Amino acid sequence: MTDKVYVLVDCNNFFVSCERLFRPDLENKPVVVLSSNDGCVVARSNEAKQLGIPMGAPAFKHRQTFRDHHITQFSGSFELYGDISKRITALLATITPRIEIYSVDESFLDISALPITDYEAWGRMVKAAVQRDIGVPVSLGIAPTKTLAKMASEIAKQHDEYGGAFSFIGLDPAKRDAVLHTMPVQEVWGIGWRLAPKVRAEGVATALNLANMRPQRAQQLMGIHGRQLVSELNGVNCYTLTSERTAAKSIMRSRTFGEDTSQAHVLEAAIASMAARAAFALRNEKLLARRIGFFTTTNRHKPGYRRWAREVQLATPTNDSGEIMRILTDELTDVYNDKQMYHRLGVFLHDFVPEDAVQTDLLGTVDTAQHDRAKARMRALDSVNNRWGKHKLYYAAEDLSQAWQPRRHIGSPRYVSNWNELPEAHIVQ
Amino acid sequence: MQEDTHDGAARQTGASSPDGISVHTGFPNPATDASLRSLDLNRLLIAHSASTYFFRVRGNEWEAAGVFDGDIAIVDRALDAHKTDIVIWWNGGGESFSISARHKVPAGATVWGVITSTIHEHRKLRRDDK
Repeated sequence: MTDKVYVLVDCNNFFVSCERLFRPDLENKPVVVLSSNDGCVVARSNEAKQLGIPMGAPAFKHRQTFRDHHITQFSGSFELYGDISKRITALLATITPRIEIYSVDESFLDISALPITDYEAWGRMVKAAVQRDIGVPVSLGIAPTKTLAKMASEIAKQHDEYGGAFSFIGLDPAKRDAVLHTMPVQEVWGIGWRLAPKVRAEGVATALNLANMRPQRAQQLMGIHGRQLVSELNGVNCYTLTSERTAAKSIMRSRTFGEDTSQAHVLEAAIASMAARAAFALRNEKLLARRIGFFTTTNRHKPGYRRWAREVQLATPTNDSGEIMRILTDELTDVYNDKQMYHRLGVFLHDFVPEDAVQTDLLGTVDTAQHDRAKARMRALDSVNNRWGKHKLYYAAEDLSQAWQPRRHIGSPRYVSNWNELPEAHIVQ
Repeated sequence: MQEDTHDGAARQTGASSPDGISVHTGFPNPATDASLRSLDLNRLLIAHSASTYFFRVRGNEWEAAGVFDGDIAIVDRALDAHKTDIVIWWNGGGESFSISARHKVPAGATVWGVITSTIHEHRKLRRDDK
């Protein structure tokens, strides 16, 4: 077996960095990015982290801190982040085609075949190239396994002295152990909050303790995954690049209402809109759903939090927006209560079958004429929406109310996705 | 000459039936040949798509040089700025991006990218945003 070399390229505070690309005045200033509904903090600059704003924090709880410390807030501009992410991937793909896009801001590269002698110097070079060409900072972790590469990128991010790239390759064993010993076990990729208490009960507090665990014991505690983790921490790789896109197993679309509401028509409009979005995604995958449902909740941060959900098993699988809306709106009347203040609603679809393999229901009475009509209708709807932009054509029920529409107060201009909102630059003689 | 090409192409694209008789399927569309690509403004104006961004030019000081307020600047971050290049730059305490020749950029300011072209629309063809 030839030795593997993996690198994880991880964007630092990615959403914040994307906003700063067009707002260099915010460099070194505290910045947070909020979820699409301005509900929660989804990204923080280092300065905001130092002010004690936790990840995922409900924004309303920290408004005072935002004001007191002049923290700049942005509503997430996910089109921008997606665009910058694609640019980074395109640049990394010029290094090697062996790339796994792990998330919007993390990619693994298999660089085993590249003739590199000094990995950290190489990593700093890649970091400089991404900074210069794309304009966002990244950290690189280089190691013989993906688990160690992930850890190395964290180390590179936390310790400025490495210049943004840390490598486990060629590190002497004593130094390696010292580094692993600084890493709390819950920070190990794949341990997290669920497994951490289990291993801590065994006296395993750091990544080094875990690396030294007997593989059999790790397997008893955490299954085969535990044994693999121990191997990976010792530089024996168990996880390879997974570039194959796996088909979706379920699709969910949910939104928080602009304001909590008790009005039935607002809920119906939300069901219709979420159903339309979920069904659109399903049709793009050329799938049909056998089970569909929705949930709605009151505000989790207010007393008397409640959640309702309904799920329907369909006799004939579907991806027809109209049918899904009709069924779920019927179900809604079942749970709706005008005394409740609803906060959030989501539509989910699962148990998929391919579009071209329609199974008949128990009685064998699939109405193929109806099925074909629905399919033709959906094709027409999608071709209009694909051609003229999303949601040009929609079911009347989708738009009964605007109240459920997310608030997006403080988003940045659409710098890279709208000709009318390009960044401006002034001629200086 | 044309006949030859026609014949050769027909043989290549003709579907063969099991008994080996070639079926004539017509002259292939030359436009599907990758070597005969149509002129593409993206290829002319953008060398590095990953590092190219667009800006809106503000100011009318350069009208004599053919750069107008409202023009679109194509900006490539991957290029080394030569001293006669026109660049987008940012000054630490500043409020907005600036445009000037590289050698006019004040000391301490950061060059954001090199302007490779500006686009001036004499007659707007589209009102929408994409």
